[in-house]
Amino acid sequence: MITFDVRLERPGFLLDVIGEFGDGITAVFGPSGAGKSSLLNCIAGSIKPSGGEIQINGTTVYSEENKVSISPEKRCIGTVYQDGALFPHLDVRRNIEFGWRLIPKNERRLDPLELAEFLGLTELLDRKPDELSGGERQRVAIARALATSPDLLLLDEPLASLDIARRGSILNYLKRVHSEFSIPMIYVSHSITEVVSIASDAMLLRDGRLEGFDRPSALLLGAAVAGGDIDSFENILDGVVGESADHLTTVRIGSIEISTRHQNKNSGENVVVSLGANQIILAAEQPTNLSARNILKGTVSEVWSNQGKVFTEVDVGEKFIVELTESALNELGIAVNNDVFLIFKSSSVDVFDAR
Amino acid sequence: MNSDISIVALSLQIALFATAVTLPLGMLVAWLLVRKQFRGKFVLDVVVSLPLALPPVVVGYALLWMVGTNGWIGQASESVFGSTLAFTWIAAALAAAIVSLPLVVRSFGAALAGVDPRLEIAARGLGAGSVRTFLTITLPLAYRGVIAGVLLGFVRALSEFGATIVVAGNIPGRTQTVPSAIFTRISAGDTDAAWRLALVSVVLGVIALAIHNWLLKRSPLSGVGRSNEGRR
Repeated sequence: MITFDVRLERPGFLLDVIGEFGDGITAVFGPSGAGKSSLLNCIAGSIKPSGGEIQINGTTVYSEENKVSISPEKRCIGTVYQDGALFPHLDVRRNIEFGWRLIPKNERRLDPLELAEFLGLTELLDRKPDELSGGERQRVAIARALATSPDLLLLDEPLASLDIARRGSILNYLKRVHSEFSIPMIYVSHSITEVVSIASDAMLLRDGRLEGFDRPSALLLGAAVAGGDIDSFENILDGVVGESADHLTTVRIGSIEISTRHQNKNSGENVVVSLGANQIILAAEQPTNLSARNILKGTVSEVWSNQGKVFTEVDVGEKFIVELTESALNELGIAVNNDVFLIFKSSSVDVFDAR
Repeated sequence: MNSDISIVALSLQIALFATAVTLPLGMLVAWLLVRKQFRGKFVLDVVVSLPLALPPVVVGYALLWMVGTNGWIGQASESVFGSTLAFTWIAAALAAAIVSLPLVVRSFGAALAGVDPRLEIAARGLGAGSVRTFLTITLPLAYRGVIAGVLLGFVRALSEFGATIVVAGNIPGRTQTVPSAIFTRISAGDTDAAWRLALVSVVLGVIALAIHNWLLKRSPLSGVGRSNEGRR
């Protein structure tokens, strides 16, 4: 549990936020310049706030009143930066071991080589950072941060410099890291897609102030629809490849199955599935005689609408975000708790390797 | 010929001593100027750079005053050694150090500035203190520029004349360096002997500058990888 009351004064900018982060994955979301990274740097200790107090698991790491300011190397916080910030003169193994070597032997809870294995880096241990792809670099950065057995993992836009296929893969790794090691994470991002996909809670920052704290989809889609600053939303889900037949491949996602274009993958392979919210059609009744291969029955769990733009969240066993227009919403009479059908073509689904 | 060798040897000794002073001092000053924000930073920059803008004779004269019986260095050395440093090879080395310091600081500063500060922040976050971060991250990434700076400072110290002759004189066997020996020989009309030492200076200078340039040309950009899109 992290509690903070941070004030940071900069010319033309004031960050002034009070709040707390739980033990799950909390997203800190907001437009560029909202103060997301500044808040993270204050918690990590690389920036000293102008005032306030920060506590991590009951330990005060900063307090203006009591004149406490613990230096960053003593805070037990792992940070993953946007482009990895790997040490270019050290190979992957030495990067991962850098922080691990600095902690006392009896405090080493995670083994660097096991972490490398967990993050699929075993083959890359002798490479230098400039011989890695963007996704591989981020995995090294995650392993390097975890190897210090941190009490808290801070992720500062870790996917911003990656393409969409790699994003899904890293998100998948991060979810696995969280369930495996139960380390609290704070995930800074300005991508609603990422935040909704990974976080259990979300905090919305705007102009240095806290605007809300809620379930990610509720907070962010609601705020984004209201503010009009959302263009598109991708549903990103983890799946497992099933059968392939008739130029189609099924992918199992939790309790449901969907059809995708034929994939050159073996049954049982882990994949990440991406489906645009605007690629899904909503029907109030069971449709018949459709060319679309995917028809999923579910319940509307939330609706956000403003100025003609509408997002709904539909629970079909997994939660999907669907984009539609205000007129369609009214015509179909869609409201929370209605039964609806999701319809999308197998070709609308993008399937990526999970690593 | 024998005297040539001892002159070159004394010059090397003085330049090495000067380098031993400028290496740690220059590193500290360069690090302060590049990485730290503090009151008096501007003043420090000006003071360290001043020898670049002054006639070396003036630097030598100021140093002579400091190492003399009225200066604080002179009084300190008198109480320790029983004599001032004026007209000793140590005074010559101090003069060479002061004159070469601005070049060393500039070279080190450029080398340190080439290291992405976020790598240092990352190292701190991983548990490394500031000294360890400097030694394991900053220095290894900046080492080419640092060696280049050391070389540049060393050749500048070797060729120092104006400040040295004021503060250390031109005493054969004691404070006579290559430049001051050349000056003596030219004054005496001994052109062959002057040319011999001039040639030595040229050879040393060419070698040092060649290595200096090679180091800087091969210096890898110590950035954080290739993807810079979206960075703010």
